[in-house]
Order: sequence, then structure tokens, then C-alpha cells
Amino acid sequence: MSENENLTDRNGSGDIMEPASENGDTRNRIFSVDSAEELKPINAAENAEIWLKKFEETGLSGVDDDLETVNIANFFHRVDSDQIIYNMKKKRLKVIGKYVMGDLLGEGAYGKVKEMMDSETLCRRAVKIFKDKKLKRIPNGEQSVIKEINMLKKLCHKNVIRLIDVFRIEEKKKLYIVMEFCVGSLQAMLDSAPGKKLPPRQAQEYFNQLIDGLEYLHGQRVVHKDIKPGNLLLTLEEQLKISDFGVAETFDFFAKDDTCYIGQGSPAFQPPEIANGSESFAGFKVDIWSSGVTLYNFVTGLYPFEGNNIFRLFESIGKGIFTIPKEIEDPLRDLILGMLRKDPEERFTLQQVKQHPWVNANPPASDYRVLIPPIKNDIWHNMTILPYLCDHYYENDSNSEASYDECGMLDDAEYITERELNAAIENHKRSAGHSNGNAQKSNQSSTSSSTKNRGRKKRPISCMAVRNMCMCKQS
Amino acid sequence: MPLFGKSQKGPAEVVKALKEAVNALEKGDKKAEKAQEDVSKNLVLIKNMLYGTSESEPQTDIIVAQLAQELYNSNLLLLLVQNLNRIDFEGKKDVAQVFNNILRRQIGTRSPTVEYICTKSEILYTLMSGYEHQEIALNCGTMLRECARYEALAKIMLYSEDFYNFFRYVEVSTFDIASDAFSTFKELLTRHKLLCADFLETNYDKVFNHYQRLLNSENYVTRRQSLKLLGELLLDRHNFTVMTRYISNPDNLKLMMNMLKERSRNIQFEAFHVFKVFVANPNKPKPILDILLRNQDKLVEFLMKFHTDRAEDEQFNDEKAYLIRQIKELKPLPGH
Repeated sequence: MSENENLTDRNGSGDIMEPASENGDTRNRIFSVDSAEELKPINAAENAEIWLKKFEETGLSGVDDDLETVNIANFFHRVDSDQIIYNMKKKRLKVIGKYVMGDLLGEGAYGKVKEMMDSETLCRRAVKIFKDKKLKRIPNGEQSVIKEINMLKKLCHKNVIRLIDVFRIEEKKKLYIVMEFCVGSLQAMLDSAPGKKLPPRQAQEYFNQLIDGLEYLHGQRVVHKDIKPGNLLLTLEEQLKISDFGVAETFDFFAKDDTCYIGQGSPAFQPPEIANGSESFAGFKVDIWSSGVTLYNFVTGLYPFEGNNIFRLFESIGKGIFTIPKEIEDPLRDLILGMLRKDPEERFTLQQVKQHPWVNANPPASDYRVLIPPIKNDIWHNMTILPYLCDHYYENDSNSEASYDECGMLDDAEYITERELNAAIENHKRSAGHSNGNAQKSNQSSTSSSTKNRGRKKRPISCMAVRNMCMCKQS
Repeated sequence: MPLFGKSQKGPAEVVKALKEAVNALEKGDKKAEKAQEDVSKNLVLIKNMLYGTSESEPQTDIIVAQLAQELYNSNLLLLLVQNLNRIDFEGKKDVAQVFNNILRRQIGTRSPTVEYICTKSEILYTLMSGYEHQEIALNCGTMLRECARYEALAKIMLYSEDFYNFFRYVEVSTFDIASDAFSTFKELLTRHKLLCADFLETNYDKVFNHYQRLLNSENYVTRRQSLKLLGELLLDRHNFTVMTRYISNPDNLKLMMNMLKERSRNIQFEAFHVFKVFVANPNKPKPILDILLRNQDKLVEFLMKFHTDRAEDEQFNDEKAYLIRQIKELKPLPGH
């Protein structure tokens, strides 16, 4: 337990490790970036230290902003590729308060979402990190975040994302919102699925959870207004969580009805009354409509209304005329039609949806199930905190048995050349193709090439089985 | 026919054998011990058909459908529930497992067992009265909660006279039974929002008369749990009409004000969440306003000191500040 004591020690002193780099993955960037986020031009004569850009990350996000400030001439200094030496940065443990940081889960306009572990309860968490600077650029950004926090505090339901902790770190100018751990959104799952749609049984499972969550929200006088696959998250146990209450609205306790005046959700999921610019509309029926579009999207992979731009789209929604593909048959067809009635008065109520035959049916199990898409090729969604902890605490023990990181490269080799890097990338691509094959139907060429190399390929060694840890929940 | 062991019995045979055994058990003559054994043995056979064992898979859909049909035709579900107290310990658990599995069975969009039980509501009444008997209370509880998931069955239970027995069950001295009864009670009152709202509206007087007794119970757990559930019910938008009715009754306000002063801080806190609705109501009826006005200064003073250590809970502090402001600004209705 000495590691643990050590850990809490750090918390106690409030010491935040590695204050210079804001997220510990500076190693992902080609240029070394210091805390002030200014680029240092590379001085090849002194030392060709280039930070390894991880190939999983595409684009140079975060670097582009400051490109103008750099002397371009320094960039085009020719160096032969085999002379470049990459510095392998070790995974640096970062602790914020009682939380241990893990890898990136996603990125939004406001900042990043990362995995975290509560070092006291050992629960996996997700944290939304809001940068003050970015938040200020978004109109009403700060207000909507505060509104969202206050709203989430009051909500407690198995299908609504739970807020666990909120704190600020002044010197970093960042706001941390700690939430239940989810592995991905339904949008990401749909994107990875064949035909971008779900088999009927799976669609029904998620839809029913959505309806349960929505019933709770409406009971708490909350209109979400932005129901869409991108805002529906999944836990490792495939429990659906409604998230993103940025544009949600809570009615006054004594409000007579659910009249709303502002609609701000995603255009493709907006009902005709909003598309036609009505001054006021019934709030709960908006959520029914967007859930209907979401269901349509689940089962067809398409959207009922399309348009090249928002005007065309709203024009098409405003007319309320759409078609459902022929293969969608009756109980489901009827449900979608009921939820997408143009007139909100005629549109199904949540109660009607709940009692609908399709919702209560027992569809036959299909031969396949869409899996939660892997993050960085890890289909098991292992806890990403562990490598950091291992590196930090077991660094010296690993000498006897060289450990490999996920690219299959030697961890303790500090410097490698381009050629070695390419070889490792190649190797990694093969293994990635192979592991993807478990999730979906793999293309045959990659599997055949990986079988050839099976003898040489070394699997990454993990120190502990962590899959069970995701199950820990607060009582 | 398998080479070893007994030949496998079909669903019809097993159900028939079980029915005979239960009948013998009911008579309670000298063959009772043998009957007891037969019941357990046949229950295990049925359970294995539905769930499978470590060696065998569950039976095919056709066999399960036959089994269900036999169970309906022979009226065995009712018989089992009625004689549950005569069946041995493991057998009781098997009955609950078989019952719940058969209940969940679906054909397309239909739930045949739910339809069956709707026509045999005696099964539900028998299960509800199971809380009277210590040795079967918890088994009946698991079956009842499974039934409560279905709106049609929940409706039968809510609207039956037996529902009011729950107000007694949740207060029994055996803690595990009282808790189990309370979770069933809560499930019935909250699961199907519109059904529950309708029920509370149409039976308002009767239900809240009974509920009042829970809130005044001698038992701390009952008092606290029922107060919390009351808060949840009133604050749910589906029960808006019930809420408006509840908060216009001055007796209810008095009760909550007394509960604010309870010894237990937890009860005080729960009472606060009901009390706030009375104060926040923009259209307070005169009797409510009168009580608040009469206690205006005392209430403000009391709330200023109320749970001051909850500095962390912003929402609570906001609400408290709001209530204090509201009460300070209270004025008698014009013309009085």
C-alpha cells in the first residue's frame, strides 16, 4: 500500500504534478511545447530533439493556433530521415486533487474530456475540462456551463449522466467537471457500425433506456432539447446515459404547462414548430420529436430530413414530409410515424411511446451486435490510468523484463531512429488490423499478413487485469 | 431415451405431478412428507427447463411454451402461491424463480402470463397477503415487484382494497419484511407515472389519510422513508394536481412544520423539501397564508439557523435564502 500512501501524500500537499504541460500528452506533438503554449523553433545543430507524434492522433490540434508566431524559415531545415532521433517520452503520472489523470476520451469546442481515477474510491471517472479562454469565446459559454452544473446536481437517475464533482484550479484557469465514466457516445458507435445503423434488438434496448431517462427528466420538469445520438453516452455495461444539458431548460415548479420560447438544439433533430420559427412551443414534445429522429437514425442509419444547409433543412422539416425505408415494418414504422407527427398536439406523448407495441416487443436476437468502438484500438476499454501508475511506481522493476508500450516499441529505449519508428508503426498497424478483426469483419489482407508475423509479434504486457475495475460504482 | 438416469419427463407430466403433490401437501395428511419431497423435486425439474443447469441448456421455446400453457391450464401458479408456506425453503425460492421467469415470457409484443394473471387477479391478492406471513414474505415480495413492472398488474394491485394493507406491512416490527414491503409499495406508487397520478388523484382522501399515519408513525425508519417518498411524489411533475391539492391543506403544513422541528436532522431535512413547496406556491390559499403569517418571525428566525453547517450544498442554501425572503415578504391578503 506504500504506493497509495505516496499518492495521497501528493494530494495532501495539493501538489499538481507536471504543471508545465497541461495534459501530459505533449509527447503527442511534433514540436515541443512549453507551458505558455509557445513553439520553440527546432535547432537542429544543437540537438535534433523532436517529440514523437503519435500516429493515432491526426492533425496537429492545439499547435495550429500559434503557427504564425513561429519563424517559418526554421521549419525547412533539411535533415535526412534516418538521422532524426525521436525522443520517447515516458508516460508521466499526473495527479489533480484526489484524481489520477488518464488518456483523452474526446474533445469538444470547450476543451477536453479525459479519463480519471478517483484515488480514494478507485472508481473510473470522466472529466470535462473547460478552459476559461475557450469558454469565453463561446457565446453564453460560461452561463450555460453553470446552468448545466446546477441542473445536473439535482438529477439522479440510472439513465441520466451523474455529476460527481466540480472544482476549479485557478492557476491553470480551468474548470473540472467530474462525471460518471462512459466509454463513448451512440454516435461513435453508429459511425463504426455497418450501414451506420443498429440491429433492431440493440436499437430497442437503447431506445427504451432513452425513454426511461426522458420520463424521469420530464418528471423533474427538465426539457433536454438536444436529444441526439451524440449526446447519448454508454457505460461499459452498455447502460445509456443522457448527457449534455447545455441547452436544457427547467420549468418553474408551479408552471402550468411546458411552454418554451427558445430552441437551440442540433438542427437535424429539431421539430417543425421550431423549424417554422414558432414563438412558443410545448417543450416535452420537442424531446419526443428528437427521440423519434434518433430512433429513425438508429434503425435506418439515415435522417428523416436532410438539406444542404440549415435553411433547406428547416424548410424540409417545416413541411414535415419524410419517408421511411420500406424494410422498416409495422410496429416500428407506426412508432416512428407517431413520434414524428408534424402537429405537436397529435404527436405521441411519452406515455403512448412507453405503451407502444414495439417498445414492449421482444425482437429476435440478431446474429450480430455492434460493439462500443475501441479507443486507440483497445476493444476492452482498459483503464488508461494504469500505464501511468506503472511507469511511475514500477519503473525500476521493469528492467528485468523489457516492457512494451502499445506501439510495440521498447519502453526504456529513450531514443530511436526514424527507421525503427516506421517499423514499429508498421508492426502496430498489423496488430491493430488484427484486433479490429475481433470487433468487426476484418479485411482479409491484414489478417493474413499478421499471421505471418505471429511468431515475432509481442503482445503488450499489462501488469494487472483491470477490466473488473470499471464495475465499481458508488453505493 | 437416455441410457442413464430417468427418462426426461415432458412439461405436461411434470406439471401434473407437481399439482398432485401440492394438492397432497395442502390436505396435510400423513403423506405430507412424501408430498413435500415431490413438490421440491418437480419444482427443480421445472426450474431446470426454464433456466437450464450447469450441464444442460434451457429447453427450447416450444417446450417452454408448452410448460407455460400447462401452468395456465392447471391453475398451478395460484396453487403454488397459496401453498407457499407449506413448501420447503429451497422450494419457495424455486417457486419465485419459476414465477418470475414465466411472467417475463413474451411472444412478440404480447406477454401471455401478464394477460393470464389479469384474469386471475387472485394470484396478486394472495401474493400481497404474503406479507402477513414471515416465512414467505420476502419470496412474495420478489414476485410482487416483478408483477409491478407491468402496468396492467400494477393497476389491479393499486386499485384493490388490499393495497391499503401496505400501510400496515411497511410498519411491521421485522425490519427486513418492512423494508421489502416498503420497496414494493414505492414501486407501485412511482413506477408507472400516469397510472400512479390517476390513482392518487381519484383516491386522494383515502390514500393520504392512510399516509398521514405513516408520517406520524412511532417507527423512525417508517417516518423517514415515508416522508422522503412523499417529497418525491409531490415534486414529480406528473403528480402536479395531487401536489396542488396537498399544499392547500393547512393540516399538511402544520405537520411539515412540526417535522422541521423533529429531533432527527435527516427528518428535518426531508421535511424542508416538502415545506418549501407550501411557501413557494404563488397562489397560497388563505388558511395556509394565515399560518405562515402567524409564524412569520419565528419561521424566519428558525430558517436562519436551520442546518447552517450545510455550506457545501449550494442548492439547499439558495432554496433556504429564497424561502426566508418569501416569508419575510408575506403580506395578508388585501381586504382582510
